[in-house]
Amino acid sequence: MSTNPLMQSAVSRRRMLQLLGIGAGTAALAACAPSAPAASGGAASAAATGGARTDFAFSSWSFTEEAAAPALEAIVKAYEDHADVTVNDVSFPYNEYINQLTLQVKGGQFTGAAHVDVAWLGSLAAMGKLQDLSALTEGRGYTDAALAAAQFDGVQYGLPWTIGAIGLVTNSALLEKVGVSGDAFPTTIDEFEKTLKDLKGLGGGLIPYAASTKAAQLKDILIWMETFGSPLVDGDTVTIGDDASVEAVTWYKSLYDQKLIAADVDRFDARSLFAQGRAAIYDDAPVGRGAVTEESPDKDLGSKLVPVSRPVLKAGDTPRALVWGGAIAVVDGEGAATAADFAQFATSDLDTVLADYEVRGLPPVTTEAQQSEVVSSDVFGSLFNERITATSSSNPFWAFTAYSQIETEIAEQVQAVLVGKTDPKTAMQQAGEAAQKLIG
Amino acid sequence: MTHRDVAMSSSQTHTLEHRKSQTTPRRLSDGQFAVLLLLPGVALLAGVVLYPLIAALVTAFFEQSLVLPGRTFVGLQNVVEVLQGDFLRLLRQTMVFTLGTTILPFVIGFALALALNTRIRGAKVLRGLMLIPWLVPGVVVSFLWMWIFNANYGVMNALLQGLGLVDDPQAWLAQPGTAMGAVILAKTWQSFPWMMVMLLAGLQTVPVELHEAAEMDGAGTVRRFFSITLPHLKGIVGLVVLLEFIWNFQHFDIIYVLTGGGPAGATQTFATAVYETAFQGYDLGKAGALGLLWMVLLMALVVVYVRFSEKGEER
Repeated sequence: MSTNPLMQSAVSRRRMLQLLGIGAGTAALAACAPSAPAASGGAASAAATGGARTDFAFSSWSFTEEAAAPALEAIVKAYEDHADVTVNDVSFPYNEYINQLTLQVKGGQFTGAAHVDVAWLGSLAAMGKLQDLSALTEGRGYTDAALAAAQFDGVQYGLPWTIGAIGLVTNSALLEKVGVSGDAFPTTIDEFEKTLKDLKGLGGGLIPYAASTKAAQLKDILIWMETFGSPLVDGDTVTIGDDASVEAVTWYKSLYDQKLIAADVDRFDARSLFAQGRAAIYDDAPVGRGAVTEESPDKDLGSKLVPVSRPVLKAGDTPRALVWGGAIAVVDGEGAATAADFAQFATSDLDTVLADYEVRGLPPVTTEAQQSEVVSSDVFGSLFNERITATSSSNPFWAFTAYSQIETEIAEQVQAVLVGKTDPKTAMQQAGEAAQKLIG
Repeated sequence: MTHRDVAMSSSQTHTLEHRKSQTTPRRLSDGQFAVLLLLPGVALLAGVVLYPLIAALVTAFFEQSLVLPGRTFVGLQNVVEVLQGDFLRLLRQTMVFTLGTTILPFVIGFALALALNTRIRGAKVLRGLMLIPWLVPGVVVSFLWMWIFNANYGVMNALLQGLGLVDDPQAWLAQPGTAMGAVILAKTWQSFPWMMVMLLAGLQTVPVELHEAAEMDGAGTVRRFFSITLPHLKGIVGLVVLLEFIWNFQHFDIIYVLTGGGPAGATQTFATAVYETAFQGYDLGKAGALGLLWMVLLMALVVVYVRFSEKGEER
């Protein structure tokens, strides 16, 4: 009679199966056991009532940015000391951030505090996992404008962290070489284009205007479309494809063909080129100052940075600028109550906000911080507010949950124009139709 | 023995057997035991492969968003829309990428394998060095080539301008005419070492005696290559080319990091298109439909691979 070798071992089949069964049963029990209790009654109420603080996760793209990371690490450290908890950092680069965060939130892998661009609030809120933080805004001195920027459909889905704008930043030393002073920057598009040509004439591979040409940041074209007179959206009707948007893209393409703007550039390339003195003008929010000055071999670059108003189509038009802001949203689940407390601390604790301002230079959102000596004595910050933020407006697509897909559709069509695969009229018509379909 | 004795004896035997059956565990057959041992593995496979696969394929028949709750059954609508939309362009671009990244590394890998199969000095060191690109993770390879090809501060432009081959910097990754070539080059750099190692292993199995005999008969290097080396390598060549083709048909990381499928969709393949549709367009239904069609094509390749493997075993 043949004997199975397994039967001869010290452990019989039956015993082995019993052990397997016990193991599987234990695993099943462990899987079915209730996890740590989620924040009950909402993070805002728990934080407001001073419930027990717990560890939580905090995600931000700024952790991936060399210039900004120290500021965030300092804020996290200050809160850890203040609240005696551990904050787990989560980071993705800006261009990947919204997709990765959406996936993590949707999959239930991320709960806690999330640094978000105010433009993304609609998309994130659609998942139904963001908390209403309105209870945490009381008595903290947030400006009304800042609070409004971090709302979607009237709900306070985020606590504003910084509200500013994206505008043109120039290297005054390079502009002076073509006879343009920071106070006399071209006001019309025609004058602006002439200045770009003069800058190109300086040679040495100088890129006059490091405008975005990679799809990831081609949303910058929208503000030029508005400058040319396109409202982008009228009510629920997308107007992209109108004459103004086509003219804007035609003009952008002409800058590309004349090499007044360069191929293969996104915000981060633009910062690098600007920092190296290889670009004279680029688009950025105030946060870019820290990145370009730190990266630059020119230790005096900070004093040469001058924010300027965007040129207009006709003299007398109001310069356009896009509101840009960051907020901290709280995703329901484990640690959400403490995460909400952290959001309030990071965005409105005066010492924390001012320390952050000194590193990142981001416009604060509380009246007290805005009136502080540190902020009001900052020449670059004041000029940025006066010339750019003062006339800024929100992107009208932010009102729609499909905002990021709409931007992607438009960016891909504009890129197709830039590389010569299609013409501006056809591209803008297709972009408009695609955007309209996404809005519904 | 009386009838009664026989009856008693039979009854005792029956009782004994009954007791025995109560105390001795029922033996499992080897087959049953094997099935029981396989069950955890099969359950794991079903949980981590079959369920996600089926769930993903099922989304092809629904209108479903990544962020919005709920879904609506739409039948074959997504599949039809994908077929009427970009499918043929994606198929063409995927084939260009796949063929390019299979043929180029094969040619380079084969040439290097032939060189390293000779008695050249330092062959072992060279063999080790050549493996480095294959050991580097795909994302790192992508960033390396992204810097090389960067239009504004890339090494490639600096080199070509230094040699006087181009006047102005070229946007290698931002022009439809050059982007696919640049991506293929980056992938080729990563994959040729694997081809080289496999082909070199094959070359070392070719009997030296055959070459010596052919040489004595007056056969030249080229003749010996085509009449001895290549026929011996037929199996390994077919295998590496087929495997590389299948891998490249589903390749994602280098394309995504280098160009994201751009410019204007010029380097978009099935892999990047499915990702973009699902995670940037949030359209799980269309992504599922695209994935379904992609999988059908891949299945055809797998059938070819299985047939090829079977023929190899017969040989």
